[in-house]
Amino acid sequence: MGAGSYEQYVQVTENFAKVIHGLNANQLTDQVIQRSKRMILDTLGVGLLGTSTEVCQKVARYSKIYSSDSSSTIWGHLDFRLPPLYAAFVNGVAVHSMDFDDTWHPATHPSGAVLPAVIALSEAFPQKKTISGLDLLLAFNVGIEVQGRLLHFSREARNIPKRFHPPAVVGTMGSAAACAKLLALDQLGCKNALAIAASYAGAPLANAATQIKPLHVGNAAKHGLEAACLALQGLQGNKQILDMESGMGAFYTDYNPQTLPALQSYPWLLDQQDVAIKCFPAHLATHWVADAATSVRRKLVGSSENLIPLDKIEKVILKVPEVKYVNRPSPASEHEARHSLQFVACSALLDGSVSVQSFSSENVHRPALWGLLCKTQLEHPADNPPSFDSLYCEVSVTLRDGSTISDRCTTFYGHWRKPLQKEDLEKKFQSNALGILPAEAVEGIIETVYNLEKVEDCSVLSTFLSGQSARALPEKLRFL
Amino acid sequence: MILDSLGVGLVGSTTRVFDIALRYCRELYPSVAVSSVYGKPGVKLSPTLAAFTNGVATHSMDFDDTWHPATHPSGAVLPALLAASQMLPPNTKPNGLDFLLAFNVGLEVQGRLMHFSTEAHDIPKRFHPPSVVGTLGSAAAAAKLLSLSSAQCCHALGIAASLAGAPMANAATQAKPLHVGNATRLGLEAALLAARGMEANPLILDDIPGCSGFSAFYSVYQPKPLPAPGQHHEFLLEKQDIAFKRFPAHLGMHWVVDAALSVRNLFINYAGSFSPSLIRRIVLKIPVSKYINRPFPSSEHQARHSFQFNACAALLDGEVGLGSFSESSIQRQELRELLDKVVVEHPEDNVANFDKMYGEVALLLHTGDVLTGKCDTFYGHWRKPLSKESLLKKFRSNASHVLPEEKIEAIIALVDNLEDLSDSSQLACSL
Repeated sequence: MGAGSYEQYVQVTENFAKVIHGLNANQLTDQVIQRSKRMILDTLGVGLLGTSTEVCQKVARYSKIYSSDSSSTIWGHLDFRLPPLYAAFVNGVAVHSMDFDDTWHPATHPSGAVLPAVIALSEAFPQKKTISGLDLLLAFNVGIEVQGRLLHFSREARNIPKRFHPPAVVGTMGSAAACAKLLALDQLGCKNALAIAASYAGAPLANAATQIKPLHVGNAAKHGLEAACLALQGLQGNKQILDMESGMGAFYTDYNPQTLPALQSYPWLLDQQDVAIKCFPAHLATHWVADAATSVRRKLVGSSENLIPLDKIEKVILKVPEVKYVNRPSPASEHEARHSLQFVACSALLDGSVSVQSFSSENVHRPALWGLLCKTQLEHPADNPPSFDSLYCEVSVTLRDGSTISDRCTTFYGHWRKPLQKEDLEKKFQSNALGILPAEAVEGIIETVYNLEKVEDCSVLSTFLSGQSARALPEKLRFL
Repeated sequence: MILDSLGVGLVGSTTRVFDIALRYCRELYPSVAVSSVYGKPGVKLSPTLAAFTNGVATHSMDFDDTWHPATHPSGAVLPALLAASQMLPPNTKPNGLDFLLAFNVGLEVQGRLMHFSTEAHDIPKRFHPPSVVGTLGSAAAAAKLLSLSSAQCCHALGIAASLAGAPMANAATQAKPLHVGNATRLGLEAALLAARGMEANPLILDDIPGCSGFSAFYSVYQPKPLPAPGQHHEFLLEKQDIAFKRFPAHLGMHWVVDAALSVRNLFINYAGSFSPSLIRRIVLKIPVSKYINRPFPSSEHQARHSFQFNACAALLDGEVGLGSFSESSIQRQELRELLDKVVVEHPEDNVANFDKMYGEVALLLHTGDVLTGKCDTFYGHWRKPLSKESLLKKFRSNASHVLPEEKIEAIIALVDNLEDLSDSSQLACSL
């Protein structure tokens, strides 16, 4: 059984494996299903858009060297496929490539680490089994739930991270759990999948705001899938990986694992705590700043057609929480701009809104923007904690005549306290996907995701994702 | 180091964990198969997967080399270089000297990184060092072999950092060999990505408070710049040699085994033969290190990480070797009985550090007599390196499990004359 000194552990790892293995589709609540679908739709759209980024193109070129017996879809591409691991990787990179994907509390990007892996896996089943939409939904939620539960094991995780990038830590574990579920591994297999995944987890935060950050999510998806596949082959790791300080605890300074609730009427975290969906592709903290800045601009000049009086502005002060990696007074690249409170504030002040285009090269290097950036400072009030649940942003513009115009945002539109309306979520998806897929495929995805629990064969989703239209596959669109 | 690493990898290709890794890779990625797999002459895999598989083989039995500060340096670097050498087109193959240089760049980076943290001097507790520094070492070595520009080398390190780090808890399990397999494979991937233009944080090794880079893996981290290239560079390997293992178990076991063998001799002189029934208690004086303190190991992986097991095997058998860790050997009744008599003590002066620790085994007999054996420096440690003969004996013994004699001698010759080789991919092809 193992060295005697380990008996003292609460057996959290064992418990996790039991839960992963034991959860079934009947236990999914309506709210959980609804929220999941929103997350799935948003993630797909963001991923499709992301296929056009430079980072994603590099990664696809790299991964192509492994094409062979390839069997999984690369979102947005009919022209080639990749083995599931690399499909999970490439699609995961796409999802996080612009920092446009969902964010949860405690902080991580939950869907990007899980969805690409389960979709890729569903297409490549070893026994060519059919996976239903409900199977996919269940596996997806197992992956989300495991991430959330792990984040609750450390108080450190409640705040915006400083050391390890959460998707690389819990995301890898979530992907492993989700894939283990989809592969219907037994309890021992689930335990080993978690143990193996832990040895792939973890990436330092310093790579945020660089081109590598999207790989954190891509790798989380890929490595979690790999861990589950290795567990399927019988590979074994430490069965107490979640219990030990030298296990999952290695990634935190305070780590207190707990057993999960009993399987009977299982309380999903997603039921109690929704995700935030972004309106523009940048770090979540910038969304508060954009809201406040847009509102200040309206007070200054009314409607968005008018130009703001740049030369009359003396200084711009942002009252924000102290978060080092989004404090960038002069971002030099698109990745840095997405992680710059100052940049987003100034863009919002200049344009009246922030969108995908705000981060284009021309816009990042605009002289007018740089002029405003030079006048921008940050302040860190003591009552502004670095937590996505409780932070606020205040933007104050002081004019040369001494007057000050300011506004504060405590909850931006898209935050879990003020979720996007269905129409706006769909609009975001359509706007993202239309550049990449034909209209019928776009509508096909929306329809499939909204009816996911009734879909008999979820490969229809992958077919749409590769760009094929509904007319090509009438049989596949069968709902139960 | 190269020779030992190859031998260890070859014998490692007979293990179960290797079998799983190989099956996994073969089933998923059959094409672009240009790189050789240890001990499988007909099989080729894609370069990163060959590196992965061979890295797993190298560490599968914990038989590979160990350095100070602690890590397993060669397994993280050699497989990546072998795989990469076969990947390059025929007219750009690196020669033996290029290969040797890249190998040493990989080692040097690992050593230098470990010197940035005082924590690294002791036997690890949190992250398994090969998965931390090994990944960056592999990236550096591959970047060197592939002749990446300075900027690309920088990015290779940054990309590798996001692929580094595995917790210690998987040591003493079947997953541990994956740490080295992944270090070498992911480091190679990082270099390949950097070669294709991927960019990461150019300050990844610097210490930036509030936003951790490589420092994320340590609680104390003080990076220092290396001496500028161009002037005479003093490689750490020059000043600090490597330890080679004589049997496939964690390095700490080697002290305890040598101490056990020495007290066993005393006991045989005393009693005429090794009679366990005369022993009341066995006291092991060892440093504090949780993951190698296992009173009753139940698997081969645990047995390789158990002071108690290794001491008792040495006492019973008069030697510890490959066979000591088989299922039947681990489950032996007489061994279990001996394990029952073991207690451990942690003297304050026995530091958990491969440069300073010692092992002591005391037999407390029913008669009241006490016999003691102590080992400060085992044969194979950097202070008492293996002779060339012993190293070759180990290599031949390991390689003979999977290769015929001519191939074995050919590899020995290739490695011995590495710097004169015009095409270093011959080494990979010979495996």
